[in-house]
Amino acid sequence: MFPNRLGDLFSRREMLKSASCGFGFLALADMLTRAATAADSGNNLLAPKAPHFTPKAKRVIFMFMAGAPSHVDTFDYKPQLAIDDGKEGGGRGKGRKLMKSPFQFSQHGQSGLWFPETLPNLARHADELCLLNGMHTDLPAHGNATLMMHTGNFRFVRPSMGAWTLYGLGTDNTELPGFITLNGERGSAQNYASAFLPAAYQATSIQGTERNKSAVANIENPKLSESLQRRQLDLLASLNRERLEKDVVNPGLEGVIESYELAFKMEGALPQIMDISGETEATQKAYGIGIKGTANFGRQCLLARRFAEAGVRFIEIGVGGWDQHRDLKAKLTTNCHSIDKPIAALLTDLKERGLLQDTLLVWGGEFGRTPGAQNKDGRDHNATGFSMWMAGGGVKGGLRYGATDEHGVSAVEKRMHINDLHATMLHLLGIDHERLTYQYGGRAIRLTDLGGVVAKDILA
Amino acid sequence: MRTRIIASLLFTATCITLPRIQAAPPAGSEKPPTREESEYFEKKIRPILVKNCYECHSGDVQKAKGHFVLDTREGLRAGGDSGPVIVPGQPDDSPLIEAIKYEGLEMPPKEKLSDELIQELTRWVEMGAPDPRVGKAAQVKNKIDLAEARKFWAFQPPHRSPPPASQATVWARTDLDRYIQSARDKKGLAVAPDADRQTLLRRITFDLTGLPPTPEEVDQFVNDTSDNALATVVDRLLASPRFGEKWGRHWLDVVRFGESTGKERNIPFRYAWRYRNYVIDALNADLPFDQFIVEQLAGDLLPADTDAERDRHLIATGFLAVGTKGVNIKDGDQFRYEVIDDQIDVTSRAFLGLTVACARCHDHKFDPIPISDYYALAGIFRSTDTHSGVKPGAKSATDRALLKLVQTGSTTTATSRKTTKELAGHAERQKEIEEINAKLTALRQQQRDMRKVARQQNNKKKKKPQVPAQPVADNGSANDLRKQVKELEDRLEKLEGAATPAGDFVMGVSDGKIQNSPLLNRGELKDKGEEVPRGVLTVLHNSFGKITPKQSGRLELAHWIASPDNPLTARVFVNRVWQHLFGEGLVASIDNFGALGEEPTHPELLDALALQFMNEGWSVKNVIRTIVLSRTYQMSSQHSAADFAIDPENHYYWRKERRRLEAEEIRDAVLAVAGALETDRPEGSPVLDLPNNQIKGGKGLGDLRKATNVRSVYLPIVRGNVPEMLAVFDAADPSLIIGKRDVTTVPTQALYLLNNSFMMKQAEQLAQRVLKPSGLNLEARIDLSYRLVLGRLPSPHEKSEVFQFLNDYQQSLEAAGTKGNLQLATWASFCQTLLASGEFRYVY
Repeated sequence: MFPNRLGDLFSRREMLKSASCGFGFLALADMLTRAATAADSGNNLLAPKAPHFTPKAKRVIFMFMAGAPSHVDTFDYKPQLAIDDGKEGGGRGKGRKLMKSPFQFSQHGQSGLWFPETLPNLARHADELCLLNGMHTDLPAHGNATLMMHTGNFRFVRPSMGAWTLYGLGTDNTELPGFITLNGERGSAQNYASAFLPAAYQATSIQGTERNKSAVANIENPKLSESLQRRQLDLLASLNRERLEKDVVNPGLEGVIESYELAFKMEGALPQIMDISGETEATQKAYGIGIKGTANFGRQCLLARRFAEAGVRFIEIGVGGWDQHRDLKAKLTTNCHSIDKPIAALLTDLKERGLLQDTLLVWGGEFGRTPGAQNKDGRDHNATGFSMWMAGGGVKGGLRYGATDEHGVSAVEKRMHINDLHATMLHLLGIDHERLTYQYGGRAIRLTDLGGVVAKDILA
Repeated sequence: MRTRIIASLLFTATCITLPRIQAAPPAGSEKPPTREESEYFEKKIRPILVKNCYECHSGDVQKAKGHFVLDTREGLRAGGDSGPVIVPGQPDDSPLIEAIKYEGLEMPPKEKLSDELIQELTRWVEMGAPDPRVGKAAQVKNKIDLAEARKFWAFQPPHRSPPPASQATVWARTDLDRYIQSARDKKGLAVAPDADRQTLLRRITFDLTGLPPTPEEVDQFVNDTSDNALATVVDRLLASPRFGEKWGRHWLDVVRFGESTGKERNIPFRYAWRYRNYVIDALNADLPFDQFIVEQLAGDLLPADTDAERDRHLIATGFLAVGTKGVNIKDGDQFRYEVIDDQIDVTSRAFLGLTVACARCHDHKFDPIPISDYYALAGIFRSTDTHSGVKPGAKSATDRALLKLVQTGSTTTATSRKTTKELAGHAERQKEIEEINAKLTALRQQQRDMRKVARQQNNKKKKKPQVPAQPVADNGSANDLRKQVKELEDRLEKLEGAATPAGDFVMGVSDGKIQNSPLLNRGELKDKGEEVPRGVLTVLHNSFGKITPKQSGRLELAHWIASPDNPLTARVFVNRVWQHLFGEGLVASIDNFGALGEEPTHPELLDALALQFMNEGWSVKNVIRTIVLSRTYQMSSQHSAADFAIDPENHYYWRKERRRLEAEEIRDAVLAVAGALETDRPEGSPVLDLPNNQIKGGKGLGDLRKATNVRSVYLPIVRGNVPEMLAVFDAADPSLIIGKRDVTTVPTQALYLLNNSFMMKQAEQLAQRVLKPSGLNLEARIDLSYRLVLGRLPSPHEKSEVFQFLNDYQQSLEAAGTKGNLQLATWASFCQTLLASGEFRYVY
């Protein structure tokens, strides 16, 4: 933690006075005094910061698929599994029998990546996707692995990757939070928290499925009209300024004054961004909005685009229910259907708006599933091998990186641990994961713990 | 951190399994490297080795993977289990080169080196593998030199240095002031004037009780011209029950107090509140801090004169039980070591300001704490049973896994909060639980008997196959029995899962099976080393009592920490007190007095306070009194450009630092000024009403969030679900040991104060309070609101602004055709503005 008192070193107020600049100067002042006022003023903490090197991506959209999607039925095509169907094997204990995928696979795009029949729309973007087929994680338990995915650690309370990103880069938008999750109900709050990092870096949770303004806590006043609240805020600002005159130097109070202005801006901006009625019918339809089965994730994807456009740094969206211990064919078909159109629309939309090139999309669950059957028609948890994919900002499209063994039990080639995934994501954002550290409990702690290797082969 | 190590080691372990070959070739036959060769090694080769190989192949050769180390020339030349790894000059015959090319062994296992690095190493072997390193650097470096380490300031006993003689100016009033003044004068700093009386009273009332002073209290103090006016106030505040509620919360931050397991499966701790109340009561009673330590660590092992005292001692050990618990861990041993780690962490950081838990996997990197010290402490806690009400791999909590109080039905239980009907239902359930338990015991015995008979028959069969089997039980087959047991167990889980009224249960610890802990290499259960005798940190001077084989050693540990000879305990605590009163500790790194911590800005003062603390019977109230009666504490927070230029961080106390109120203070103060604060302690905790299984959204949480006007320290602190207002204003994360909270200023706070219905409601209450007295004119009512909320009168300019606002606002309401009491609505809006103001959330 930076000492509070350093804040007085460069009071923005004094700086503004001596430089006699307007509020436009604030951004620069913020950057200069970032270290100085870190502990005392939340706004400063969120000011944009220079990355370690030139970034390929400016923001992240993380699509979290809670429950652990089966990789051999989605992005890790395994012909040998079909051949050996019924033979013993398939991971997690003896006596399991290999089960071929119930879905047909075919090749798509110039790259010829394999897609299952359940993802026809996404398959059209084959050449944008970088499949990570060599993923592995530490434990095949949902809670632990979800924490691992979000914080890089399941044993200790650690900040979320979104919080680390915000700590490293700040945010460009002054009217919106820098780390937003539309996926707040998935797993414990620890997945989205800032832990020992200042609270300003934690996610702001927004109910993605609701259309109204109450999607963010306290965003709307239950009684006062906007003009009455403005009048109230004017009095407040005036009283605060008078006190500030008296204090001469008080960065904390300056922060208070600014926090009210930002809050007032958020009251206006956030409901506006959440209101998608201005989007064309065609767009809404493309995302699958208004259609049962795709409406939920479609809306999240569209909101993600709107937040990305507005300069939000880290956006998490997600859909759960991928935990098919039985009845895999029917359930997985439904799951795939719920994301297929929305993601395809998101990719198209981002591309058309020129945003795909500097927006990093990351898709995946907390682990994968066994090629061996469970309960005859389901698959069990599998942490030793699974798949994720990336697209957009700085990654090679149409690439299949890493591989599991012939049946898909364990990652064997270009293996990628969660720490490696995080290291690579930070790298794309222009951050050296070994240099993004925070002193806590006597150690310099980082998102990637003691591990993390950047997967250089996937960088465009 | 540990996870990753374990994961990477697993790969390594499978890779190096070649048999050990006898001897390495003589290393002395080569000529020493030239300067160029040495430079080449240092520049190119050593960094590759450090970065890619040291994690597994450095340090103690016995512990290194494959018994191979390459952090010394000797080690690299000698090779490991699989024999020599390099043949100088012949890369093709060198197993090391083979391994990095992944042509045989695959090293490093995590990822193949880049072609560039492989080429570099190959070239180096070709050159003859010149290696300029001498000696056994790694081993020497890793060994901790205790004699040298003890010279570190924090490990030296506090030392009494007389306060500096009085200065030219007679500013100092107490010894404390003399230390401060002397250091400040040396820096050429001037000093701020004394704070005015109303500012001082607001400051001291918040600092000691977490609440604002009432207007009457302000008047009384301002008008009290006697010499001991302040001392009278301090005594009043220290005697108030509100004191323990404020300072108890400080301690609860440090001991990661929470009312659920946290982690991936969040199960309520239904009785954690007892420990919370114990802490508050201990502070109010000014329980000597050394005794406070011993009770929390080993209350169960202390003699007690009365049942009430016995119970209090048991409750105190909740300190060791209320930490987070990863109940998803199914392995009992692993679960136990996670609990032990939490206990070592909280004990060492809370009392000693040392991060001993860093030594779980390896010797501490910065402090003189060898891994064996960690496992010496682990043995003490391994001999301790922790009764937290949860078990490894358990879906739900069970009260049976808790301790029971001695006194039943006393005021320390919370049965009165339940209706008679609920109690009756509970009694029935309890009866059924007892019956089921009795049945289960009988059935299980039957099962055991059956198995025994079956075994005997089996044995007989082998000898004499003719003997016919005897019927073993009249209760049917083994299958039937299993079914019966299963049914009863299911029923039991259901009954125990029901929300039951508070029993006489308590979270705490007791001595269990007495045993040492083996040293776990790299913290891994599977890699057990030698057993380490139970003990404490070897670097500290003070002696540790001998543990008999019949004791865990917890009581001895407690006495060792609470000893006046322990150089850290008193220092760490008075530093915490100082921080709460000045915003920053004399040692800024509150929870770390080790090598990575900060050095004290005023070492003599720190030691003087620590010594006085111990000499005056470890009285917490006395330390606080000493500090707040100093002139240093009573300075104004006024800015001075000249002093600011010299000492911008105010290390030398040229003024009093302003402080943002803590989350609890903001909420309590809002309630207090609205006249709505309920100061009575609520019984138990709403967590008691939660079912004994995972806390999920919906009904359970709804109960926790029920509106209440009790003091914030009594709100339920479920991990991951800290009450909204507290979370918004930086309350401590209950899963972490927090000696110093963050202070952030973010828009979510602004949104809360502007729009949350709690704030709207309290603002209206406050408005009613201001509008109620008859016979006051508008001006007097504005004065009253200022006095209530900010403890002062408004300036003429403020008054005119408020006047204007009230006018405008009410007119706007009228113009908009608003219905209802417009005067009240207008005043509520103004009152909310005062509550939202920056000044309200700061003490000056």
